[in-house]
Amino acid sequence: MLSVFPEQNLTSNLEDCALIWGKIGVTIDSFTVSPRDFPGGDIGELAICGSANDLAVRGVLPRFIAMSVVAEEGLHMAELSRYMKSAARICEDLNIQLVAGDTKVVPKGHVEGLFITTCAVGEQITEESLGMDRLQPGDKIIASTSIGRHGAAIGASRFNLNPENLKSDCAPLWPALKPLLALKGLRCMRDCTRGGLGTVMCEWAEGRNIGITLVEKQIPIRIAVQSICDILGFDPLYLACEGCAAIAVAPDDADRALGLLRESSLCEEAAVIGTVTEDHAGMVALQTEIGGMRVVDMPVGEMLPRIC
Amino acid sequence: MKYISTQKKAMSPFDREPGQIKASYTAHHVIEAIGQRLTKPLTFMEVCGTHTVSIFRSGIRSVLPPDLSLISGPGCPVCVTDQGEIDCAINLLDMPDITMATYGDMLRVPGTRGSLSERKSEGKDVRLITSAAQALSIAEDNPEREIVFLAVGFETTAPATAATILEAAEKNITNFSILVYHKQTPPVLEQLVKDPDLKINGFILPGHVSVILGHKAYRFLADHYGVPCAIAGFEPMDILLAIADLVFQHSNGESALHSLYPRAVRPEGNQKALDLISKVFTPCSARWRGLGLIPSSGYALKEEFAAFDALLRFGITIPTPKPPAGCCCGDVLAGHITPLKCPLFAAACTPMTPVGPCMVSSEGSCSAYYKYNRGGASPWKRSPSATEAADD
Repeated sequence: MLSVFPEQNLTSNLEDCALIWGKIGVTIDSFTVSPRDFPGGDIGELAICGSANDLAVRGVLPRFIAMSVVAEEGLHMAELSRYMKSAARICEDLNIQLVAGDTKVVPKGHVEGLFITTCAVGEQITEESLGMDRLQPGDKIIASTSIGRHGAAIGASRFNLNPENLKSDCAPLWPALKPLLALKGLRCMRDCTRGGLGTVMCEWAEGRNIGITLVEKQIPIRIAVQSICDILGFDPLYLACEGCAAIAVAPDDADRALGLLRESSLCEEAAVIGTVTEDHAGMVALQTEIGGMRVVDMPVGEMLPRIC
Repeated sequence: MKYISTQKKAMSPFDREPGQIKASYTAHHVIEAIGQRLTKPLTFMEVCGTHTVSIFRSGIRSVLPPDLSLISGPGCPVCVTDQGEIDCAINLLDMPDITMATYGDMLRVPGTRGSLSERKSEGKDVRLITSAAQALSIAEDNPEREIVFLAVGFETTAPATAATILEAAEKNITNFSILVYHKQTPPVLEQLVKDPDLKINGFILPGHVSVILGHKAYRFLADHYGVPCAIAGFEPMDILLAIADLVFQHSNGESALHSLYPRAVRPEGNQKALDLISKVFTPCSARWRGLGLIPSSGYALKEEFAAFDALLRFGITIPTPKPPAGCCCGDVLAGHITPLKCPLFAAACTPMTPVGPCMVSSEGSCSAYYKYNRGGASPWKRSPSATEAADD
């Protein structure tokens, strides 16, 4: 898609949000999820958290949001109103101002229920721009919390599996990540949404042509998430997260970063999960629990549940 | 009689070597023990696709001695579904008012005229389900449509299909039928073990199929053909223990069937599930992708349930198209070659553009080789001699 915008100076190393005019961060994302109400959240909450988190991981304070709603004819007003209240609650928590909006109703069958698009704008508060171009061999990779909870919760709901204690991690990241911005050794951050932690790692390794080695034992995965993965044949590395960031920091700042993260109730499970390396350039390796090594590759297509 | 019952005592390779490794063994210990007891090159086949994925995902191949080769067998239900069977399903979708329901990866398997997924994107009604019962629910909820359940899988999924047929008959549901593509595991293993070109020194047998079948169905492999067998669970340690057991059997000069999965598999199997199968199905010849027609390796609906047979209901037959040019899925499934030896692998055939089902299925060996080994370019692949040994 980018090839038709050659003069826009866009590169394949696109980050979660663009930094324009020096210190302005801007991002846009569309949200469609089935079911729209899921354990731990709903599409309204997701639409605000998703875009606000895209800003937060680049050190950008979320300030304004514009929202476009495309609803299928027949969607109940009460349901839409509920999602808007969820969205408003997150905006209030983060002190984000809704500044523009649009609503379209399309004939039944033209969309599946409801699509919400949000465009978030904010103010970069770091001196230097955080981004994968800052990654260096030796950097430590941190997961801000346990991975895969959103994807597992959605998968469980979709296939009528409802384990107790399984909820989406959908949450605004700014309050937890803000203290990290003071660390000189903070390199870059990314929220692990569609494609999960594995995809973010692959994008970093391929984008910078560096190696990343993850240590399976150290990656926090809740039992409920692993159980859903075992039943459906999914790999938790690729399950979407909506309140988990991958964070790269200089090795000297890793302990401090962990300490700061764990002060937030959202990040009590934060852990160092790997290292940037000069070996296996462009490739992500996983040191497995039994001591083996294997590639973590980009996911292909939709994850489908196993047959038996 | 070399069959060892696991009913009284869970068999572990270490039970016979008390001085060598204590009960608190770890993966490291098991790997070390395998290396110590391996005295000649051996090739084991993991029959089940879930085992294949677990082996790659946990990096087991990267920690085994070079003289120990693992090859992937015909245990992925998607991979063994014949191209003609896919074509038949796609032809059926061209008929009016058809809704087709099926499991996971079946949607993406290419037939001669594309895949079910492509038909879905063109507007055909194709539903993804995770249980046979869901297909019946769709039929009950949509009485104006003909619901066809494309039923695949081995002894693990066949009982659920059988139970659904019985329920449909009891409820007198008339808009529900099935394309029965279920297959049986023991007959294909017998075909493999009789293949003079294939040197399999041991089978890692599928845990979940064994939950249904128990031990008896596999005895012939050890007793008649002298091939050591180990029933294994799906955790990396389960598989390592099975490999260790097979290595130990060789070093002791044994050929027996051992269960390393007694926490799930009872020697007698699951009689209720077996009763369901025998009540609804009768054995029939089945065509396996790349392996051809294997006698008594499939399931056909018994005559009293003929009303639910989609082939009879719609007057269609399963065509026998030629496989795609160059595709070696058959040789991969039979263990004759590893995916790396297929000329299409990682070239014309990738997960983005799969030619054969072994690349489509998440449990296919080509997909696993590609995904966890970067198309053979992984720096952690096993030594060339091991790979070549499997191919020769």
